[in-house]
Amino acid sequence: MKQAPAVLFEILRGAWITARHFTVNMVFHTLRLFRIRTRRAGAVTIQYPEVKKPIPPRHRSLHRLMKRSGTDRPRCVACMLCATVCPSECIVVEAAEDPDPDVQKVPSRFIIDLSRCCFCGFCVEACPEDALRMDTGRIDLAAYDRGDLIYDLERLLR
Amino acid sequence: MIEILILLAKIVGSLVWLLLLTLYLTWAERKVSAVMQDRIGANRASIRGLRLFGLFQPFADAIKMIFKEDFRPSFSRRLLHTLAPFLSFFFVAVTVSVMPFGDRIRIGGRTISLQVLDIDVGLLFVLAMLSLGIYGILLSGWASNNRFALLGGMRGAAQFLSYEVALGLALVGVVMVFPSLRLSEIVSAQGRLLFGFLPKWGVVLQPLGFFVFFIAALAETKRVPFDMPEGESEIIGFFTEYGGLKWGLFMFTDFMEIVIISCLTTTLFFGGWQVPWLGADGFVFPGGGTWALAPWAVTVFQVLAFNVKVAFFCWLQILIRWTYPRFRYDQLMDLGWKVLIPLGLLNIILTAAVLSV
Amino acid sequence: MVSLVINGQRISAAPGTTILEAAREAGIEIPHLCYHPAFPPVGTCRLCAVEIEGLPKLEPACSTNVKEGMVVRTESPRVVEARRNVLELLLAEHAMDCPICDKAGECRLQDTYQAYSLAPGVYAEDKTRRGKKIALGGGLLLDRERCVLCTRCVRFLESVTKTSELGVFERGDRSEIGCVEGRLVDNNYSGCLAEICPVGAITDSDFRFKTRAWFLEARETICPLCGRGCAVFLESHPGFPRVPGTAKAYRVRSRRDERVNGHWICNVGRYGYGYLEKSRCRELAGPLAKTLNLKAATDVVAPLAAELRALKYKGRQTRVAVVLSDWLTNEELFLAGAVFRRDLEIGRCHLVGPRDGSPDGMLLTAERSPNRAGAKALGFNTEETTLEALARDTDLLIVFGPFLQDRFRPADIASAWAGVKTKVLFTPRDEGLGAAFDLVVPTVWPAEKDGSFTNCQGLIRSFSPALAPPPSAVPEWRLLTALGRAVGLNPSFYIPFRSAGDVRRAMP
Repeated sequence: MKQAPAVLFEILRGAWITARHFTVNMVFHTLRLFRIRTRRAGAVTIQYPEVKKPIPPRHRSLHRLMKRSGTDRPRCVACMLCATVCPSECIVVEAAEDPDPDVQKVPSRFIIDLSRCCFCGFCVEACPEDALRMDTGRIDLAAYDRGDLIYDLERLLR
Repeated sequence: MIEILILLAKIVGSLVWLLLLTLYLTWAERKVSAVMQDRIGANRASIRGLRLFGLFQPFADAIKMIFKEDFRPSFSRRLLHTLAPFLSFFFVAVTVSVMPFGDRIRIGGRTISLQVLDIDVGLLFVLAMLSLGIYGILLSGWASNNRFALLGGMRGAAQFLSYEVALGLALVGVVMVFPSLRLSEIVSAQGRLLFGFLPKWGVVLQPLGFFVFFIAALAETKRVPFDMPEGESEIIGFFTEYGGLKWGLFMFTDFMEIVIISCLTTTLFFGGWQVPWLGADGFVFPGGGTWALAPWAVTVFQVLAFNVKVAFFCWLQILIRWTYPRFRYDQLMDLGWKVLIPLGLLNIILTAAVLSV
Repeated sequence: MVSLVINGQRISAAPGTTILEAAREAGIEIPHLCYHPAFPPVGTCRLCAVEIEGLPKLEPACSTNVKEGMVVRTESPRVVEARRNVLELLLAEHAMDCPICDKAGECRLQDTYQAYSLAPGVYAEDKTRRGKKIALGGGLLLDRERCVLCTRCVRFLESVTKTSELGVFERGDRSEIGCVEGRLVDNNYSGCLAEICPVGAITDSDFRFKTRAWFLEARETICPLCGRGCAVFLESHPGFPRVPGTAKAYRVRSRRDERVNGHWICNVGRYGYGYLEKSRCRELAGPLAKTLNLKAATDVVAPLAAELRALKYKGRQTRVAVVLSDWLTNEELFLAGAVFRRDLEIGRCHLVGPRDGSPDGMLLTAERSPNRAGAKALGFNTEETTLEALARDTDLLIVFGPFLQDRFRPADIASAWAGVKTKVLFTPRDEGLGAAFDLVVPTVWPAEKDGSFTNCQGLIRSFSPALAPPPSAVPEWRLLTALGRAVGLNPSFYIPFRSAGDVRRAMP
C-alpha cells in the first residue's frame, strides 16, 4: 500500500509513453499521407516484398555451382567435402568419370536439399575448388512443393 | 403497426451500429497498437489492389474463420460446447438495446427516442446481462472437458464475480446523484450545468466512482492487463478447445464488450449524447454567447458526440491493453477485493455525506 | 631374444626382426610407405629412417635388423627433420589430387604429411606431367603423377601371385611403374594392388569415384563366396537421410588372418559383393501372404508350425520336404536339423547350394558356399537331388536359400512342383524364383547376421553383422528358433535363443 502512489505514477507514465508514441506517429503518418516530406516516418516497418533491405556483401543465400571458365560444365570435382562437412546432411554428391584426364572426376548428381539446409556455409568453406558459392542473393526460397526445395545439378548451375 | 416498424428499424440500426463498430474495432486495435509501437499494422487485405489502409482486414478475417474447419473435440459436451460462444455473444449484444444514442426526436408529429428500449431499470438490465456473460465463459470451460479450459473458465468466473461487486458499488454513487436507473434520465440529468459553466457529467460528480467503475469494467472485458481467463500468450484459457467461427465469436464478444463498456462509461460518466452547453435550440455558452441550431442539427451533434465519446473510450482501452503487462492472479484479487471494493464503499459514504449536507 | 631400447622404452625382439617390426610389436609406429609385412623390405621411400646411437647416419628401420643393446630414437628432432625433408621431396613430384583421389582419407602419404610436415610446397617449378589414367588390366588404373615408386605392386606380383606383370622402367626421376611389354595385369588377386598401394596411384574401377573413404564404416565379416571363408572388412556407407539407396556396401577389403588368407583376398570375394543388393527380397510376398493376412516375416512362423504339427500328428511328415543351403550358418543348420529332422522326423532334408566353380590354386576353392564343411559335419546330405525327388508325394515344401536357380531352370521348377500343395521360400534374394512359391519370406545374407562358418580347412569362425539388413528381413536362425518353439515338440526351444551365440552354446 505504501508503494501505491509510485505505482500509480508509473502506470500513468506508461500510458503517457504509449499515448505519446501514438500521437507523434499519427502526426507523421498524416503528414506523409498528404505527401508532406518529413524527416522520419511514422513506422520503422519495411514493407518486405515491395521494399527490400539491401543484402550485406558477406551474406549467405541460395547456393550456386560455379562453371569451369569458358564452358558450361561445373567446376566441381565431386570430392564430396561439402557433403562431408554439411552438419544437416543435406548435400548428396555422386561422381562420374570425365573423359578429360585433367578433370577426371565430375559430379553426375549434386543435390542440395534446402528443406534441410541450415545455411551455415560450411560447404562453401570446405570446397577446395571454389566451385560452390552462396552469393546468389536469393533468399525468397519458399516453395509450394517440398520437391521444389531439392536443388539438383541443373538448377544449381543456373 | 408503424410502432413495430420503428422498433424494428431501431433494433436493426443499433445492432448494425454495434457490429460494424466492433468489426472495425478489431482493425483499429491492430492499427492503433501498431502506431503505438512504431509499426504499420495490417494493411495487406485488398480488393483488386485497393488497400485502404487495410480496411478490408476484418472481412478477410471473417472469411478465413468461416472457411476454417468447425472442429469440436470428441471429448467435449456437444450441446454446451456449441452453445457457449453464442451465449456469451448474446448477453453482450442485448445490452446495446438500452443505450441512448441521442435525445428524443420529432418526425411527423411522432416522438421517437433514439434508444431501442427505454426501460426504467436500464442500468440494472445492463449489469444483469454483463453478469450473465459469465455463463458463456464457464460453460465453454466446462464443456470443453479440458482441464486447462476448465481452470481458465473458473479463473474467469472468479474474476467476474470479484469485479462485479466493485462495479455495482461504483454505480451506486451514480444512481445516488442522478436518482434514476433509467439510462435516458441519467443522460438528461447530465445536461445541466454545475456552477453555471461546468457540465454536470458523472465524472465531475463522481471522480472516485468513475475510477473504480472504469477499472472494474476493464476487468469485465477480460483483456490485458486483466486477461487471466484466457491469457492467450502464455496461460491456457477457456476457449482453448475452440476454433474457426466459434473462436471468432469469443473474440468478437471481447471486442463488443469494449464497445459496450465504452457506451456505458459515456452514458454514466461522460454525459452520453450531451454536448456541453448544447441545448434543444443550440449552444448557450457560459460567457453569454449563443449559437442557434435547427433541431436536426442538434440531433446530429448529439449522436456525433455520443459516437466520438465511445470511440475515445475504445481507444483508451486499446491504449491500456497495449501498455500494461498482465496482473498476477493474487494481485488481481488484491486489487478487486482490497482496493476497489473499499474505494467503492468509501465513494458511497462520501456521496451520501455530500448529498445529505 | 635381443633386447634394445626404442624411444627410451626397453623392448625385446626375436633376432632377425627389423627395427620397424620390433617397434610395431611394442606399439611404436614408424611411418613408412614401401614397407609391407608380407614382402621383404626394399627401403625405397626412406620415410622410416631412424636414429641409432653410435651410427653417424640415419638408418631405414624397415631393413635394419635389431641388435643387442641398440638404442633407437624414432621421434628425435633429427629424425623428424629427415622425415620432413623426405616428404618434401616426395611431394615435389606428387600430384595434389587429394580432392579427386580415392585414397584420400586412408592415404599413408596424406597421413604422414599431416602428422609430420604440413609444410607448403617450396618448388616454383611445375610438376612433371605424367600419364594420369593408364589401364593396367583387371580394372586397375594407374596414375603416375601420384605414384611414389614404393614398388609394393611390383613386389606383390612377384612374390604373391608370381605373375610379375608390372615392373619399374626407366631410371632416376623418369622411373615409372608400367606393364611388362605386351602384358596386362591378369590374375585373380589384382584387386589387392589397389588395396596395398600406399597412395592413390593404383585405383580399381569398381570403387573408383563411388564414394569417399571417410564415409565408409568398415566392419569385420567373413567372405561367403567360397569354401575358404577369407576374413574381410565389409565397408558400407551409412547413407544420406531422405535419399534412398545411399546406405549400402561399397567395398570389400582383406582382413589379416594368418590361419586362412594371410593378407590377401581374391577378386571373386573382393568384387563379388554385388549379390548383397541384386534382386534383393525386401518384403513378404506370395499369394499365401495375402490369404493368411501375414504382415511381417515372423508372422509366417505360426501358420507354418501349425501345418507341420498337423502333418506330424497325422503321421504324414513324409509328405514334407525341406531344402536347406550351405550358405546357412552352423547355428542355423543345427536348428534346422533339430526342428525338421529330430523333432518333426522329416526324412527329406536336402542341401542345395550354388554350383561349383573352378579353384584358382591359392585361396579360391571349387565350392562356392561358405559352410559346406559345416553342413557335412552336422550330417546333412550334400549330394545333388532332383526336382522330381523333392516333388514326389509332397504336400509341403520348405526351401531355404536362393540357390535352386543355380541348379535348375525356373520354368522347370514351376512345372515340376506344380503338384505340391504348399511351397514356402525363405530367401534374401528373389530372382524370378518367387513366382513358383506360395510364400516368399525375406531373410538376410551372412554379412547381415551373426553365426559361424566352418571353412574348407575345418576352422570354425564366428562373425557378427557387418551390414544392416532391409527392415523386414529376419535372420534364418531367428525364424528357426521361433518355428521350433511354435512346433513345441522339444523342450530345448522353450527358452528362446536370443542370439546366434545362445544357439552356439546349445550346440554339441
